[in-house]
Amino acid sequence: MGTFLQFVVLGLGLGSIYIGLGTGLLLVHRATGIINFAQGAMAMWGAYVFAQLRVDGTLVFPIGSIEFARRPPIEVAALIGILTAFVLGLVVHYLVFRPVRHAPVLAQVVVSVAVMITIQALVVLRFGPNNIDVASILPEGSISVLGTDLPTREIIMAAIMVVLAAAVWAYLRFTRAGVATRAASENERAAVLMGFSPDRLAAVAQVVAVVLGTISVMLGSSLTGLNPDNYTLLVVPALAVLLVARMESIAVVVVAALLLGAFQSVIGLLVTKSWWPVWAQSGLDQVIPFAVVMVILFVQGKRLPSRGSLQTIRLPDVSIPKLKPVPAVILLVLGVAALSFTQGTWRFGVTTSIIVMLLALSYVVLTGYLGQISLAQGAFAGAAGFALSKMTSAWGVPFPLSLILSALVATALGMLVALPAFRIRGAQLAIITIAAALAIERFVFNNYTLSPPEGNPIADATLFGLNLGVREGRDLARISFSVMVLVIAAILVWVFIRVASGDTGRTFLAVRANERAAASSGIDVRKTKLIGFAISAFIAGIAGCLIGFSRGQLSAESFTVFAGLQVLAVAYLGGITSVGGAIVAGVLGPLGIVYTLLRGVFDLGEYYALISGLGLIITAILNPVGIAGATREQVAWVRRRLSRSGPPPSTVPDAPAPKEPSRV
Amino acid sequence: MSDKGLHTKGLTVRYGGLVANDSVTIDVDPGTVVGLIGPNGAGKTTFVDAVTGFTASAGEILLDGTRIDALPPHERRTAGLSRTWQSGELFGNLSVAENLLVAARAGGWRTLVRDIFVPRRKVSDDVVSRALEVVGLADVADTLARDLTLGQQKLVGVARALAGGAEVLLLDEPAAGLDSMESRAFAARVRSIADSGPGILLIDHDMSLVLGVCDVVTVLEFGKQIFTGTPAEARTDPTVVAAYLGAPVEASHA
Ligand SMILES: Nc1ncnc2c1ncn2[C@@H]1O[C@H](COP(=O)(O)OP(=O)(O)OP(=O)(O)O)[C@@H](O)[C@H]1O
Ligand SMILES: [Mg+2]
Repeated sequence: MGTFLQFVVLGLGLGSIYIGLGTGLLLVHRATGIINFAQGAMAMWGAYVFAQLRVDGTLVFPIGSIEFARRPPIEVAALIGILTAFVLGLVVHYLVFRPVRHAPVLAQVVVSVAVMITIQALVVLRFGPNNIDVASILPEGSISVLGTDLPTREIIMAAIMVVLAAAVWAYLRFTRAGVATRAASENERAAVLMGFSPDRLAAVAQVVAVVLGTISVMLGSSLTGLNPDNYTLLVVPALAVLLVARMESIAVVVVAALLLGAFQSVIGLLVTKSWWPVWAQSGLDQVIPFAVVMVILFVQGKRLPSRGSLQTIRLPDVSIPKLKPVPAVILLVLGVAALSFTQGTWRFGVTTSIIVMLLALSYVVLTGYLGQISLAQGAFAGAAGFALSKMTSAWGVPFPLSLILSALVATALGMLVALPAFRIRGAQLAIITIAAALAIERFVFNNYTLSPPEGNPIADATLFGLNLGVREGRDLARISFSVMVLVIAAILVWVFIRVASGDTGRTFLAVRANERAAASSGIDVRKTKLIGFAISAFIAGIAGCLIGFSRGQLSAESFTVFAGLQVLAVAYLGGITSVGGAIVAGVLGPLGIVYTLLRGVFDLGEYYALISGLGLIITAILNPVGIAGATREQVAWVRRRLSRSGPPPSTVPDAPAPKEPSRV
Repeated sequence: MSDKGLHTKGLTVRYGGLVANDSVTIDVDPGTVVGLIGPNGAGKTTFVDAVTGFTASAGEILLDGTRIDALPPHERRTAGLSRTWQSGELFGNLSVAENLLVAARAGGWRTLVRDIFVPRRKVSDDVVSRALEVVGLADVADTLARDLTLGQQKLVGVARALAGGAEVLLLDEPAAGLDSMESRAFAARVRSIADSGPGILLIDHDMSLVLGVCDVVTVLEFGKQIFTGTPAEARTDPTVVAAYLGAPVEASHA
């Protein structure tokens, strides 16, 4: 009993962070309708600044730094950290969130994911990828309760955060500005009528949210040290807390946050017991938030208030693809040429680009055509990859069959993740898919009973005696492997075009445009979503298998949540509604051609994540159709110009009426 | 009254404390046009929503003699119950022809397999052009739905409701947005659709349209059915005149 109580109290430290992040999420959602996936990353930056000041007296900025002769005292360092958070909140609000305040949900989700990737990448660049120690502001100590020594630090932390959350509650409840903020979440005009600028209110909310989160991370990270990945992803349990509170009640946020923290801590205790099954030891703390989110959404899915719920996601127009033999052959020839005139790391880069193109294509199906936001594509790819390892090395399943069966594993997983999409959409679906992805990563990929730490070997593919392995001697990327990847990709693109231009594609677009109208036209909306998730996960699964073949073995690091998000970034950047966009995404994608260029020619490989994050922010704000879409619009525009100034059309029918480039 | 067509018995819809449909009993027999009229907020759209499964209701809904009240909306559609929306609700980013094809060819696993292995090379335009012909919009097939005028969008909605084949059509203010000439032409089309088989429930505020084309008229007020009878009876019924026809009969939009 004593140990149990100790662990409960230890969990309050984590719970305090959830209070900070959860309250901030709620405040921002209240003021702007945006669910900020970057809340954890933003809260982490100020805490890092604080920690680094205490470690060696360096004040780190995104660019440049100041070294103090002596380490500043802890109060000063903390103040600088909070000030940094203040500035960060303002900057992100005015540069990023304000421009998308009236944008569709997808753009808002993507923008906040982009901020998350960017800040996380920046932290890795500026502070390093490893854990750093964080000085404790609070004194260590313990009190004795019922004969058990309980740490006071966690209790004081929780008390501080509860008081701060109460202050936010009082602000929303009792001040005119707070009341106007709440009013603005329903109707911006109401805030204006009260004499407030909704925009100013949103800026205040954003700043308060970041400062609050930063304080909680500064306090809480003294227990564990700071780590870029973990703290960025703390937003996921915080989002679970937000949903429990129905995005409304700060009191519920506080209670749920502390309970979740305590619960995760107690789970940490229980898994060390001898009676606890070994296979369920890892990642259970992430399964819980996921389970919580699932239950909440199923119980109250339709009743969750959300500004975005009435408006269906509007997306860039889709031009229904046609299978044109000439461009197809040109592309294939280009692909073969790119593979045969390169070698070593360059050919590996081209091959990776083709694989990433497939991952991006899985987003085109699901998000571009069907309008569903999934942040779990990386997990689908990973599931197939791990299945492939088992099939090839443990069970000896022969090549094309192993690929297809593994992709079907991903398909099954995708259909499972589709179930919540029956009831929810938009940002809430994004929450559940990222929670699912994290749970799968921690519970399955990181689980040593399922995935041994020394790696999951994948046997090389052979077909009719032909060796399709990626490496041989010093050849890092054999041509036969690369051509196999190209052929598989070509087949999938061809299948995609048939589906997209067929009855199925039309059904997807109808569901994307208007679910009610689709149902009244006889479309089974749920089955359509199931099919969309299945196709998308299948394509992602094939990509995951190809990644597996290209590495020869897989580990949990091969398919992190971040890798998945990075692919979303490039998919959106390239253009999420077309094959062309997927190809551009492949070229830009992680470890692809552009990455190889950055690394090999400009020696800028480490900046890749940062650049892709920034690129995504800019794309989501300025150019929602992505690079491919923008190019298509420009080509169409030039064509119209030419056809107008050219000779009078004799056989050509009139060019379609000039249309504004689609804006979202 | 035959078993065929749409029949509701004691259909009741509650929104919180508000009884939006209070035990509504309506028969739409094949080949007939039933008018549903009533002031704004009377519960006309609610009735259509309930019958087509977009809002929960109590009471019986029968289509061709079979209870359909437990079916989800898309199955009611495939069973032959087809509706339009007061607000149009076309798929704005699809062309008119594609809007119709959505209704004519629902997807599914089998469709997926067929799309991959035996795609329909040429889209059979029959369904589309026939449905567009009926509403007199044959020339807009390739226009994006959102580029149409509101009146045209409503008509395309009717065409879409027809496209999959329908036993009963529920038209929610399809003529709003048409001028009086177009409205008269539309009345003739409604008549000819009904003559070709399906039963039609027509909601509209244009009295001359409704009283002119319908075989039976039902009047709703605050969710209650205050009158059911022929247009001639409606014109002289004191409750109807008091409740709804108090204004001159020609009055169009409320
Ligand atoms: N989803 C809903 N939730 C709560 N109340 C609703 C809902 N839909 C309609 N109502 C209410 O039910 C009543 C009937 O509305 P309905 O839209 O059916 O009227 P109507 O006869 O179609 O009116 P109109 O001629 O304006 O189209 C109104 O008071 C309306 O406010
Ligand atoms: Mg209505």
